[in-house]
Amino acid sequence: MSGRVIVITSGKGGVGKTTASANIGTALAQSGASVALVDMDIGLRNLDILMGLENRVVYNLVDVIEEKCKLRQALVKDKRLPNLCLLPAAQTRDKSAVNPEQMQKLCAELKTMFDFIVLDSPAGIEGGFQSAIAGAEEAVVITTPEMSAVRDADRVIGLLEAKKDAISQYRLVINRIRPNMVKTNDMMSVDDVLEILSVRLLGVVPEDEDIIVSTNRGEPIAGTDNTRAGQAYRNIAGRLRGEDVPFLDLTPKDPTWINKIVKIFTPAARV
Amino acid sequence: MSKIAIISQPEQGVLIDVGGCATLQEATQHLTCTLQVSSHFWEEQPVDLNLGALSLTRDELGQVLATLSEVGVKPRQVFARSAGTKAALRAFNIVPAAGEPTTEAAVQAATAGDEPCESTATSTAGNESGQSPPASKSGKKQASKPAAKAEAPATTSGDAAVSVTIAEAAIDSAPPTTDQADNDEAENDEEAPLTFEPGDDAEESVTVSEAEAPVAPKEPAKPAAPYIMYLRQTLRSGQSISHKGHLVIIGDVNAGAEVVAEGDITIWGALRGIAHAGVAGDTDAEIRALRFDPIQLRIAHAIARSPDRPKNDKRSNGPETARVVNGTIRISVSMPD
Repeated sequence: MSGRVIVITSGKGGVGKTTASANIGTALAQSGASVALVDMDIGLRNLDILMGLENRVVYNLVDVIEEKCKLRQALVKDKRLPNLCLLPAAQTRDKSAVNPEQMQKLCAELKTMFDFIVLDSPAGIEGGFQSAIAGAEEAVVITTPEMSAVRDADRVIGLLEAKKDAISQYRLVINRIRPNMVKTNDMMSVDDVLEILSVRLLGVVPEDEDIIVSTNRGEPIAGTDNTRAGQAYRNIAGRLRGEDVPFLDLTPKDPTWINKIVKIFTPAARV
Repeated sequence: MSKIAIISQPEQGVLIDVGGCATLQEATQHLTCTLQVSSHFWEEQPVDLNLGALSLTRDELGQVLATLSEVGVKPRQVFARSAGTKAALRAFNIVPAAGEPTTEAAVQAATAGDEPCESTATSTAGNESGQSPPASKSGKKQASKPAAKAEAPATTSGDAAVSVTIAEAAIDSAPPTTDQADNDEAENDEEAPLTFEPGDDAEESVTVSEAEAPVAPKEPAKPAAPYIMYLRQTLRSGQSISHKGHLVIIGDVNAGAEVVAEGDITIWGALRGIAHAGVAGDTDAEIRALRFDPIQLRIAHAIARSPDRPKNDKRSNGPETARVVNGTIRISVSMPD
C-alpha cells in the first residue's frame, strides 16, 4: 500500500486548519479509505479534542519520533470509524522536538499502513510548518475570505511552490464564507480570492454555527448529515479522491414572503 | 522537556530544567515564575540547573544566577551543552557538570508511563515498549456500569492496534513488568517465613522483627522515604511536574498538564489534566483532589480515562480519591482513613 500524504496548512492561525483536518479525515474514512490524521501542532495540540479522543491519548508523535514507543501504540483509533486513526501531538514539548528528516521517515512508514495521511500543520511558517510539509506530497491551503488570511495563504503557496519537486499539487479551500455578506459586497467572494491567489479550488465551506457545536462535542461535522458545512467537507473529500463533485450552491435564495415575515420577528444576529 | 520542568529526587536533589527554552528571556521568565511561586520549597535544597542548548554570555548567565540567588538558590551543578555557556560558567568559577543530567531520561521515560530507568532516549523501541504499555490493565472511572466495563479494554489507542502491541509487549518482556515481579516476590517473601522457618530451623524463638526482615525487598517499589514535594502553583497546559516521592500541589492541574510521582498525588484544587501516581509500579499509590475532572488517571500500570460523553451537570462531587482495586482504578468520595 502506498498512501497519499496531504498537508493541511494556511499560514494564518484560526482559519480552520484543524477543523478542516478533522473533517476531511472523517469524510475520507467514511468513504471507506483508511486514514491517519497526524497532529503536527506540538505544544498546542487540538486535533484530539476535535475528534473527541483526548482521553485516549497515551503516547504521541514525539514518543514515536524518539522511539519511546512503536507507531502502532501511539495511533489512537477513532470512536466511530474503525479505519480512522489519530497520531496526537505532544503537549509538554515544543516544535523543536521534531525535525523535517524525522517527519519524512515517519510519513514513509505511515504510507505503508494507510490510504491517506492527513497532516494538520501548525500556524506560521517556521520550524513546525517546515516539518509538516517535509513529508507531504500534496497540500491543501485553507483561507478565509479576509485580506489578512489571503495574504498569508499567498505566502504559504509561495513556500509550497519552492518545494515543487516534493509537493506535486496544492489546492485551496475557502472557509467560513457567508453568502449573504458576499451578496451585499461586504465580504470577498470566491472569485475575488481566486483572482488574487490563482490556484485550483478544492472546496468552499460556508460559515456554520454547527461547527462550534461539533467542536465542543468532539464529533466532526462531516459525520453528521443535513449540515451545509458537513456536506461541503464531504464534497472536498470526494474531490481529493478524484471524483467530480459539483460545488455547493451558496447563493442566498431570494426570501419568500413568508421568510420576510419570519425575519421581522427573529433577532438580527443570525446569519 | 517542557519549558518549566522541576524534577526532584530524594537522594539527588532538585533539577531545574530550562533546556526547553529557546531564548534567555523565555528562560528567565519561566525561572522567575517557578521560583517565586514555590519559594519555600527551595530552602536547603541541593539544586541542579540544566541550561540545555541555551547559549549565554557572561552577563546573561549572571542574570540567571542572580534570579536564582534572589530566592537563596545556589546551583550545585550546572549542565550546559553550548560551548559559549560553558565558557561563561567558568568565568563565574562554576565548573560545568559533565554529561547530561541523568534524571532527564528517567523522567521522560516516566512521563511516558515507563519504569524510570537509567537508559537514555536512544534505547531500543522493543525494550521500552516491553516495559511500558500502561494499557495492559485498564480501568474505567466508576466501573460499576457493566457497559462501561466492556468498553474499558479499548482504553489507549483503540482496539485492534493496541491489542497487537500488548501481545508484542508480552513477548518482548519474558518476565512480567518489573514492578509486578517485585511485588510478587515481596509477597512470596512475606509468606515464606511463616511456612518454612519453624520446621527448617527448629528454632522457636523467631522474633517478629526477624520474620519481617525479608519483606525489605518490597520497599524499593515505594519511595524510600516519605519524601514530599510541596508546590504552590497552578499547572497549566504543557507544564509537567515529576517527582520521586509524594507530590502535593496547592492549585489546579489544568487540562494538558501532567503530574507524575512515584508516591501519592494530592491536589488541593481541581484535577483536569493527567495524573500518574506510583509511576515506579507502586499500586498502593493514590490520587486525590478536591475536584476530580481528569482526562486520564494512571496509577502504576493501571489506566483510566474520562467518559466520552462529558457530564452535563458541572456539580462537583467534592473531594475524591482514586486507587487501584483489583487492577483497575476506582474513584471514591474521600474519607479520612
